[in-house]
Amino acid sequence: MHSLEIKNLNVSIEDQPILKDFNLTIPKGEVHALMGPNGTGKSTLAKVIAGHEDYEVTSGSIELDGQSILGNEPDEISQAGLFLAFQYPLEIPGVSIANFIRAAKQSRLEEGNTLDAVAYYKELYEKMDALKIDRKFTSRSLNEGFSGGEKKRCEVLQMSMLEPKYCIMDETDSGLDIDALKIVSEGVNLMRGPDRGFLIITHYQRLLDYIIPDVVHVMFDGRIVHSGNAQLAHELEAKGYDWVKETFASPTVQ
Amino acid sequence: MSDSTLNEQEESILVDNEKGNFSFPEDYQFDAGTGLSKETIAYISSVKNEAEWVKEFRLKALELFEKKPMPTHWASSDLENIVFDNIRYYLSKGQKPSRTWEEVPDDVKETFERLGIPEQERKFLAGVEAQFDSEAAYSRMKEDLEKEGVIFVGSSEGLEKYPEIFKPYFGKVIPSADNKFSALNSAVFSGGSFIYVPKGVKLKQPLQAYFRINAENFGQFERTLIIADEGAELTYMEGCTAPKFETATLHSAVVELVALKNAKIQYITVQNWSNNVFNLVTKRAHAEENAEVKWIDCNIGSRLTMKYPGVVLKGRKARGEVLSIALANDGQHQDTGAKMVHLADETTSNIISKSISIGEGRSTYRGQVHMPKHLKSCKNNTECDALLINSNSRTDTYPAITTRGDANTVQHEASVSKVSAEQIFYMMQRGLSEGEAMSLAVNGFVNDLLKAFPMEYSVELKRLIDMEMEGSVG
Amino acid sequence: MNNTQAILKSEPKWLEELRNQGTQDYKTLPVPTAKDENWRFASLFSTEAAEFKPSSEPSSQSKDLCLKQSQLLDQSSAESIYLDDHLIKKTSLSDDLKAKGVLYLSIQEAIDEHPDLLKKYFLKQSTELGSEKYFGLHASHVKAGSILYVPKGVEIEDSIINYYWTDTEKGLICPHTLIIAEAHSKISTIDVFNSLSDSNQAMSISVSNIYAHETAHVFRKVIQNFNTKTVSFQLDTTIAEKDTSVKNLALNLGSAKARFENQVKINGSGAHVKMYSLTVAEDQQEFDQRTFQTHNAPNSVSDLLYKNALFDTSRTIFSGLIQVAEGAQQTDAYQTNRNLLLDPRADANSLPGLEILANDVKCSHGATTGNIDPEELFYLLSRGISHRVAMQLIVLGFFEEIIDELDSESLINTIRTLLETKFSAKLS
Repeated sequence: MHSLEIKNLNVSIEDQPILKDFNLTIPKGEVHALMGPNGTGKSTLAKVIAGHEDYEVTSGSIELDGQSILGNEPDEISQAGLFLAFQYPLEIPGVSIANFIRAAKQSRLEEGNTLDAVAYYKELYEKMDALKIDRKFTSRSLNEGFSGGEKKRCEVLQMSMLEPKYCIMDETDSGLDIDALKIVSEGVNLMRGPDRGFLIITHYQRLLDYIIPDVVHVMFDGRIVHSGNAQLAHELEAKGYDWVKETFASPTVQ
Repeated sequence: MSDSTLNEQEESILVDNEKGNFSFPEDYQFDAGTGLSKETIAYISSVKNEAEWVKEFRLKALELFEKKPMPTHWASSDLENIVFDNIRYYLSKGQKPSRTWEEVPDDVKETFERLGIPEQERKFLAGVEAQFDSEAAYSRMKEDLEKEGVIFVGSSEGLEKYPEIFKPYFGKVIPSADNKFSALNSAVFSGGSFIYVPKGVKLKQPLQAYFRINAENFGQFERTLIIADEGAELTYMEGCTAPKFETATLHSAVVELVALKNAKIQYITVQNWSNNVFNLVTKRAHAEENAEVKWIDCNIGSRLTMKYPGVVLKGRKARGEVLSIALANDGQHQDTGAKMVHLADETTSNIISKSISIGEGRSTYRGQVHMPKHLKSCKNNTECDALLINSNSRTDTYPAITTRGDANTVQHEASVSKVSAEQIFYMMQRGLSEGEAMSLAVNGFVNDLLKAFPMEYSVELKRLIDMEMEGSVG
Repeated sequence: MNNTQAILKSEPKWLEELRNQGTQDYKTLPVPTAKDENWRFASLFSTEAAEFKPSSEPSSQSKDLCLKQSQLLDQSSAESIYLDDHLIKKTSLSDDLKAKGVLYLSIQEAIDEHPDLLKKYFLKQSTELGSEKYFGLHASHVKAGSILYVPKGVEIEDSIINYYWTDTEKGLICPHTLIIAEAHSKISTIDVFNSLSDSNQAMSISVSNIYAHETAHVFRKVIQNFNTKTVSFQLDTTIAEKDTSVKNLALNLGSAKARFENQVKINGSGAHVKMYSLTVAEDQQEFDQRTFQTHNAPNSVSDLLYKNALFDTSRTIFSGLIQVAEGAQQTDAYQTNRNLLLDPRADANSLPGLEILANDVKCSHGATTGNIDPEELFYLLSRGISHRVAMQLIVLGFFEEIIDELDSESLINTIRTLLETKFSAKLS
């Protein structure tokens, strides 16, 4: 029950199958890494779970703590406890970070209740400090003119403010220098705990030096072809993705 | 490409202000005289031995021309200086276009030789038509194309021999009533190219037409209609020159393009009129589903050019493009632009216009982008950049954009700049003269557009720009 | 239309002549048609201007209501409230400002007390953007208006607010704002156009003329929020002299049809002019905006940003022209029009124009029209924000860079609330 569970998921775009009978279960308290070469469907998976409408789900199920979220609106899925850290966070002109997160938190309250502004800002500033985000960023337009690292830190800030049950991090390490990588990882590690599950999508093993996963999955051609412990990531790094292609390209291997 | 071939090409090319500035004594068998009336039209029609419906088409157009006012409420008042009664509307030597250069009358042949046409034909063209005043003197296409069913003829021949192909589109993309000058052309048109490329036929080499005005006070009114059937592809190039006369000359063409499903047409113009030509041209294309039409236009010379090539994007995923370079020198007004009408979902259009104003030259961009209906996922991008060389140079930009619908995006940007003194200084410090530095900067300004022209043209265009830049500084 | 007669008490001869000229212009100039370049894309006025008449003195009930609703800001330097062109309240300037020579006059007061000042500036700037005929109608009828004179070196802290209300069916109002700012002076004003009822069809032909003399700072804000039956003309001009700083900001929310002509003439070097506009168009509203930035002197800057959000079957037209005269070198002139289509039936037209007769300039214009980016929306939704709130955030965000230009926190809050209310009704 206490898991993010994806069963036999088939997804296509314009009749092109992307995910093929995809299966993955992330129990609360665990951190799973999903690795694989470009174009195997990792980002598609992230967006489908978050409810993006561009993808056609032909069959399968996605359940969050036993509740189906497949077909729900993205905001409903978010409120059910799922957070997606975007690979490319969007720039939203004129909407400040503070107002944005506030609106997101407000949306989680029952109608008629308003957020306590003082407590909100206290929490916001604390978490910004922890992520080494300058306080003057609060009034800046969301992601507008941010560097790659600033955008990713802002994603982690939102994640920590919204306290989701399950976090999917889509290539959060891309575009980060080593300092930013450490800060982001610390932010994530602080959030690890028995009540939260993580899916870390990454191309490189580098991030997994800082966020040690419980399970590592290798994805290829729309499905998970191999799973193992943290050691698998190192193995992948050493052998390269060509090894994955050679080993798993044959459809008979599952 | 080695330097030697580059140089060779530079020498061979057609359009050149000085090269074009000569004329032969007049020796015309057919002359409609001066001024325009029903009789003029009857004369043209009878010389051409036209079908009755063509004559009626002309007469109707004449009425429209007489009724329509000059568009001076938005356009240059210089139009008022055209004296229609002083213009000669039809001049020809009475010959059918020759299939070999040997048969072409000596003076005409020499004209085109001096302009480099036969040489280019040998080098890189699939077919050539050379028009001298009202009629083509030479017209020939490679034989294998004829076998594939490609038609490349003049307007009279096209309407006479292939009415079933051309009549359904003739005057349909641009109705006579479109504007005063399309009406005028429809009344007195002569010459031009009628082209049909059958289904799936893709021309590897361009077809070319060359338009030459030889006689003073003459009005040239060629009419071009190009139909690319489903999946067909072609590139068509036109060049134009006239000698420098004492009095103004009128060139008023109508060019209609039809790109059927999946077809591609690329239409390239290099105009280098002498600076007393009124060049008032209507150009428009229909693009059906997934078809692509590209207008690539370079306007140098003339006294006043008014030309706004358009694409009506009628079918889903049709694409339209206008790439244009205009150069206005002293006493010249390049009033050019583009028109994109989106009538189907997922249609895209792109307009890039670069103009250079030298001395008291004036360049104007007028554009229209129209997404009037409830369409989905259409895109337009427009960029207009103007470069002003001298402190008294002028540029104007007048776009008009209408947008409706869902998931459409329209983006228009325009900028005005000059060549900075620092840039010039930097280049001069490296040993270039001020004029050379200026030419280099101007060539740099249009460089990305020059690349859209075939190699043979872009080399020549660079040289023409250099010539225009001479004396602009100092 | 009646023959012109003196409308105010003891009108001087020169004013009578201006009124006659106005009547004459109104009668003789042709009704604009879509063929006029200045009226391109405009749908024409189905209502005859002649149907609209000046209204008689409003009832005391209406006056009370009007006074109650004329409360934009808690603090102001002075205010005038006009209802159907009748002055119903005017607060006076502080003694300090009076002592410094600041004048804040109704037209009647100006006739009586400062005729020379009035003669020099009143009705001297017509529009050149197409509504010359309606300027004539304004000139022949104008009686409501404020004349603000700020002497050399005087800076006024709080805004001066003019309210112009309509309340009569087929009522014509001709509000007039005249600002004369002398050297080194500083002033900020707000004009509020509003309807007391939702149902009266009125016509407003307002004129505003700003004279910013050397080094003056002028910031004028306009809030146009007439009911959706009213036809509004707003014919504004600014003359900016050397080293001035002038800012115009218009919030356009109301009217069935609102024609807004705004011309700025920069006649001195070193001037810095900004023109902003925020428009929310809904239902069948049409906002027709024509702007003209004229640079007659070198070394000045003008910057225009007009943003429109369109709902339902509304229409907007932005037609702007930057004109740089020969010799006006080192000009920086910019013009940006952004349209956000929130309904596929809405119709945005953009005609950004340039006429540049000097080469050492930085001039550019940009126009974009588009819908809300679905990826932006998804991003907000993925944070749990509802569709409605996400749309509101994006649309408000779209306007933020203009709202940001307002100089008063309480005004910003008022405007935000106004917009939020509007959007929450629209976006669901």
